[in-house]
Amino acid sequence: MENLAAEQSILPVFVFFGAILLLVATMLGIASVLGERKQTKTTDLPYESGIIAVGSSQVRLSVDFFLIAIFFVIFDLETVFIFAWAIAFFELGWHGYLAVVVFILILTIALIYEWKSGALNWGVKSQTARKETS
Amino acid sequence: MTVDETQNLRPDKNHGIPDSTFVASHVQKTPDSVKTYWVARDELLPLLKELKPIYPMLFDLFGIDERHREKATGQPHADFTVVYHLLSFEKSAEIRIKISIVEPETVPSIVSIWPAANWYEREAWDMFGIVFEGHPNLRRILLPPLWEGHALRKEHPARATEMEPFSMSEELLDAEQEALLFRPEEWGMTQENEDSEFMFLNLGPNHPSVHGVFRIALQLDGEEIVDAVPDIGYHHRGAEKMGERQSWHSYIPYTDRIDYLGGVMNNLPYVMAVETLANITVPDRAKVIRIMLSELFRISSHLVFYGTFAQDVGQMSPVFYMFADRERLFGIVEAITGGRMHPAWFRIGGVAQDLPEGWDTMVREFIDSMPARLDHYEKMAMQNSILKRRTIGIGEYNTSEALEWGVTGPSLRATGLDWDLRKKRPYGGYDQFDFEVPTAHRGDCYDRAVVRIEEIRQSLRIIRQCVDNMPAGPYKSEHKLTTPPPKDRTLQDIETLIHHFLNVSWGPVVPAGEASVMVEATKGLNGYHLVSDGGTTSYRTRIRTPSFPHLQMIPLISRGLMIPDLIAIVASIDFVMADVDR
Amino acid sequence: MSEANLPFIGAILLTVVGGAAVLTWFERRLLGIWQDRYGPNRLGPFGILQVAADMLKLLTKHDWIPPFADRFVFVIAPTAIVISMLMAFAVVPFGPDHYLIDMNVGLLFFLAMSSLAVYSVMLGGLASNNKYALLGGLRAAAQMVSYEVFMGLSLMGVVMLSGSFSLVDIVEAQQDGWYFIPQFLGLYVFIIAGIAESHRLPFDLPEAEHELTAGFHTEYGGMKFTMFMLGEYCGLILLSCMITTLFFGGWLGPFFPPLVWFALKTFGFVCFFILLRAAIPRPRYDQLMALGWTVMLPITLINLVATGAIALWMNQA
Repeated sequence: MENLAAEQSILPVFVFFGAILLLVATMLGIASVLGERKQTKTTDLPYESGIIAVGSSQVRLSVDFFLIAIFFVIFDLETVFIFAWAIAFFELGWHGYLAVVVFILILTIALIYEWKSGALNWGVKSQTARKETS
Repeated sequence: MTVDETQNLRPDKNHGIPDSTFVASHVQKTPDSVKTYWVARDELLPLLKELKPIYPMLFDLFGIDERHREKATGQPHADFTVVYHLLSFEKSAEIRIKISIVEPETVPSIVSIWPAANWYEREAWDMFGIVFEGHPNLRRILLPPLWEGHALRKEHPARATEMEPFSMSEELLDAEQEALLFRPEEWGMTQENEDSEFMFLNLGPNHPSVHGVFRIALQLDGEEIVDAVPDIGYHHRGAEKMGERQSWHSYIPYTDRIDYLGGVMNNLPYVMAVETLANITVPDRAKVIRIMLSELFRISSHLVFYGTFAQDVGQMSPVFYMFADRERLFGIVEAITGGRMHPAWFRIGGVAQDLPEGWDTMVREFIDSMPARLDHYEKMAMQNSILKRRTIGIGEYNTSEALEWGVTGPSLRATGLDWDLRKKRPYGGYDQFDFEVPTAHRGDCYDRAVVRIEEIRQSLRIIRQCVDNMPAGPYKSEHKLTTPPPKDRTLQDIETLIHHFLNVSWGPVVPAGEASVMVEATKGLNGYHLVSDGGTTSYRTRIRTPSFPHLQMIPLISRGLMIPDLIAIVASIDFVMADVDR
Repeated sequence: MSEANLPFIGAILLTVVGGAAVLTWFERRLLGIWQDRYGPNRLGPFGILQVAADMLKLLTKHDWIPPFADRFVFVIAPTAIVISMLMAFAVVPFGPDHYLIDMNVGLLFFLAMSSLAVYSVMLGGLASNNKYALLGGLRAAAQMVSYEVFMGLSLMGVVMLSGSFSLVDIVEAQQDGWYFIPQFLGLYVFIIAGIAESHRLPFDLPEAEHELTAGFHTEYGGMKFTMFMLGEYCGLILLSCMITTLFFGGWLGPFFPPLVWFALKTFGFVCFFILLRAAIPRPRYDQLMALGWTVMLPITLINLVATGAIALWMNQA
């Protein structure tokens, strides 16, 4: 099967890509020609509920967002190993299966650790804040 | 509560206040027989502190410009009066404390006693220029920041013909916009803490979920709300000022537009207050018609709440079903009154017309079909686990917090306090009806919805009793101040003709005095305080709306939560901005 | 279809883009039926010309680039979602002979393309330099990146059973039985992850009009906004195609020609997703993330381990 696929030319994909680019460019092009042009006092203001914006939108972000990014890198990389195993699943047989089960166990332990350390339930910690302070 | 106390609705006792406190003060007789005391300026704070355990809620706080009064007998000389209207839930009683000031005297702020006084005092300053000493942030609240003068002072023009035509020039527009810019320092907010930099975000005035034009300036750490400042006044139309220029009768349509989801429910406290001043007794048929229509509008308002509540937590469909129901309900309202959202149909002394033929068939069809539909909605919305997770435990407050902040109505009953004005101090004939007062216990967003939904069922019950037991008889009073006055004898004798002519052309002349009447409106307690100086218009019309204090509480219950929670809280409060800003 | 067949490419683009356009109308009509109202019914038979009217309107809107935005990224971002979503159709087997290319890594190509869509939404939000857009962009990044993990993993059961990443092979391997029965857990996770990836209601948190007004595309209008919408609807069709292909036997089915079967199944799932939109409220942001990491991820891992054991055991027997 894979041989057959390998024999195929990759050319159609590039032609397809070209066609899509052409489509997108046409759409944007037509719109920029046909679009109305209007300039009022408020046209160039950012939208903030119809009122002048306060402060900047460029702020340092809270660490929670970065945590998610790091989890993603960890788990997605590990997923790649599972991909490799899944494709050769029957060839690898029980040996391969056991190896992957061990691998998944390690993954699970990592997940449980993250879970227990509270890194996954962000937002929840703040819900109780008022009760503690009041 | 003992039988004696429930019957004695507005007791003449001092409610346990030592008489000695009032030695230096003055008692004022009012037609509504609410105990009204004038106290000296330095007595105020100690007295209010003493009263708070008995009267835990600051129901209302407002000013009166007394400088043009002609028939103010039996009260101290004053330029301005500040009225503190307190409410007791245990005794279901109210009391008014008044202090008089002669400019440039100031009034001590009571924010330290009742946090809810904050906005009320700002409003009194905004409208009258009365300075409250010790107020943390005495600034304009309803009028635009650049407004000149204080709108409810008598010298401030009330009609467009009394001033230059208004035009919004480019420069003025820029200046107003600039003045509306949120400045965190003015509210004691810092730009950052040791962990993160805060983002300041205007949620509103033009935002899909703030139910009108309402701004909440948020201090955010990521999506977590560190602090919030609600900003109101974008929907202010000067309804109280209009009350001073419309005749007693022609003001009725303006009341419809206060809580615009409540329809004729808004007319009720106003006409009852005028009837109290004029001493009109309303016939039974009119009472029952009023109750029936009020309850229909309660259902209508709660249906809108129900739909938008689900909508705001992201459930798309329920709101369409509820609006379809509301449409059928408006069909009934239209058949009876000719109007839909704002029928302005109650009159001083009764209602505008008798019920049309076949009205009961329509109403019966509606109340028969609703329970099954409500069951269906219950399954669709309230039992949905995502909706529950979004709303249970969010925006909680307990009964004592609610009383502190002036929360009334379903939002108060959601905390477990079984107190409904219709039960505890029945007005307008509610004592004749059999219904239950639903309560919940957590006081969170979910419970506020649960209470309202159960109230729909109770309202259906009341309406059924109205349909089954509609009394015969006249639909308005025979009293000569009834407006419009009965016409059948006008062409028979000259006296009736003169009364009719004067009453219709000038409007009724209501005897001097003051009266306040509150009703259990759709969103909480709605009260009208009317001061008559013996003229064809009201001297001072004070509208106490439930939504106003409810919004003031938002920062307290949303700190530490996330933006989606704030949206759920806003949805669960059930307010309309017209009801807040008036 | 091994050579660059221009008519076929044209047919794919026309079907998908045209389908997405018609879907905007169809969705509103279908929602209308479910919600006791009409939906657009004025222009043309059943209101179908609404699509043309909308297109005209969007074409003549001010083609505005905010002066405060990062201009280049602002323009590129919406095109990225359209390009990546349409590219993914290159590997979709519409019938036994109707596909642009049968890649031996077809499934991975699909996953790669659908991850690229994340950049579109995230960059659109960040480049706008608007606070609502920023919050939307951040939500998009966190949500889509999380569900990315489970989306890939949930499909590994299918790969194990068919022994191939090629979508044509996967369909052909379902001759004896469609994979939605042995892989019901995988299907469950894939559907949820798929909605989260295509950020449609109930998981439209990056957009969440009730919270963030319009979220990541707050500052977008006209054709650039249309690109986001087009990308979202293409994504919906793509997701339905993939469910059909991976779990419901693709073009397989009796009596009708393969293409009809494929279209019918795909249409069924499109309707299903519209129904979901009508029925379910939106979870809170942290709840959605928690659902992903603490429910979806364990389910996929259990699915993998169980599928492996059962498949090997049955293979022996």
